[in-house]
Amino acid sequence: MSKKVSPQEVLDALKQVEDPALHRDIVSLGYVQDIEVGYERVVVVMQLKSASSPGRAELAERVRKAVGALGVPSVEVEIATPAPAEPADAAAAAPRGQSNLIPQVKNTIAVASGKGGVGKSTVAANLAVALHRQGLRVGLMDTDVYGPSVPSLMGAKQEPTVVEGKLEPPVEWGIKIMSMAYFLPEDEAVIWRGPMLHKTIQQFLGDVRWGELDYLVMDLPPGTGDIQLSLSQTIPLTGAVIVSTPQDLALEVAWKAIAMFKKLNIPILGVVENMSYYVCSHCGERDDIFGHGGAREAAARLGYPFLGEIPLHPAIRVQSDSGRPVALDDSPLARNYEAVAKALAEQVSMASDQAPQIITE
Amino acid sequence: MAVFPKTIKLRGDGGTLAIDWSDGHRSAYPYRYLRDRCPCATCTGSEPAPEPPPSQLPMLGPKPLRPDRAELVGRYALQIFWNDGHSSGIYTFDYLRELCFCDDCEAALDQLT
Repeated sequence: MSKKVSPQEVLDALKQVEDPALHRDIVSLGYVQDIEVGYERVVVVMQLKSASSPGRAELAERVRKAVGALGVPSVEVEIATPAPAEPADAAAAAPRGQSNLIPQVKNTIAVASGKGGVGKSTVAANLAVALHRQGLRVGLMDTDVYGPSVPSLMGAKQEPTVVEGKLEPPVEWGIKIMSMAYFLPEDEAVIWRGPMLHKTIQQFLGDVRWGELDYLVMDLPPGTGDIQLSLSQTIPLTGAVIVSTPQDLALEVAWKAIAMFKKLNIPILGVVENMSYYVCSHCGERDDIFGHGGAREAAARLGYPFLGEIPLHPAIRVQSDSGRPVALDDSPLARNYEAVAKALAEQVSMASDQAPQIITE
Repeated sequence: MAVFPKTIKLRGDGGTLAIDWSDGHRSAYPYRYLRDRCPCATCTGSEPAPEPPPSQLPMLGPKPLRPDRAELVGRYALQIFWNDGHSSGIYTFDYLRELCFCDDCEAALDQLT
């Protein structure tokens, strides 16, 4: 029988355990609440800062391993997350002086590119799926009013219903979805000026029953216009993810989008390189159609986090058209998206909340 | 944006809006000074000047100018709802910082010009 370990020994072992997302040890992060040492048995009680932290299972596994290495046969790990705030509390916690339309949504992420056709919507949909697979509650809002594509990408078969005067978003693959496509026959187009777009964005935020979400991923249209501005003014966005292909032409336009978000004081959470390379389905040889690494280099040069690269692959096109995002699979492609989702969650957890307080005397 | 406000205080007594900035700087703006520098299209002359607000009509007596309230716009600006009914100005944090006329900011500006 092994000797009985002391709580201090357990604590020292826990100091070597890193949070999978934050890369800091769990003791200095303040996770460890209690250590109970019994006969051949140790219980570690931890409290996470936010319920949206991914990798909870991995964290528990790391703790079990570290404490088990001390020769403890049975290690129990209890992880508590803060109880979800009551709607009223959440509203009170929102930045004062701004009526928050979606108080129960923790993080709002804009997926933007500046340029069209770089795969924003595909990245947004798969990113939403990858976040959901981390055990998070996710919504996906298609703000591309002119060219909505999210319902097709997600294979959305249901339509929104009206409950208590608000729209109940359909749920596909576990993700709540809202899009203009639901309100328009296929062969009709939205031909609107700015004020109508603004109203739509406000309704998509305020009149949809999003409920409690860890992430609301927003697929933005190309450009730096009405929709981007309405969104940035209506809610305090957590941050933006910039999607670009590796070639200079796309990068140049992507920096326009970055410049816009900087002006609106919205943090750039990172850059994703889409269509990063092509693996031939016949010979397996890799081809850098749009060049490779351009977005990674540009992000590094300008000091923005690089979240990952997604290859150009026929499976992405085929599955996007059939409405089953590749991020649902267990494939190398899905792991690409998983890596992007994890890197994003890491950036979100580090983004500081800097909403000013307004005091009226 | 390098600096942003930590607190924005609408003072009842002195008639100023006070901002504590993230870099430790403090600004205080008299309400009239801010109202006269409203950045909206109407006030900056892209459109014809509006009718004088009713508070300036002599029979109503001059009501001291002050904001009824102020709201954040996204993460980058402040919208002030003045008690003369005007509210279309969106004061970006950058613009507010530019408007600061404390001795330090004035001196920095003098050096530039």
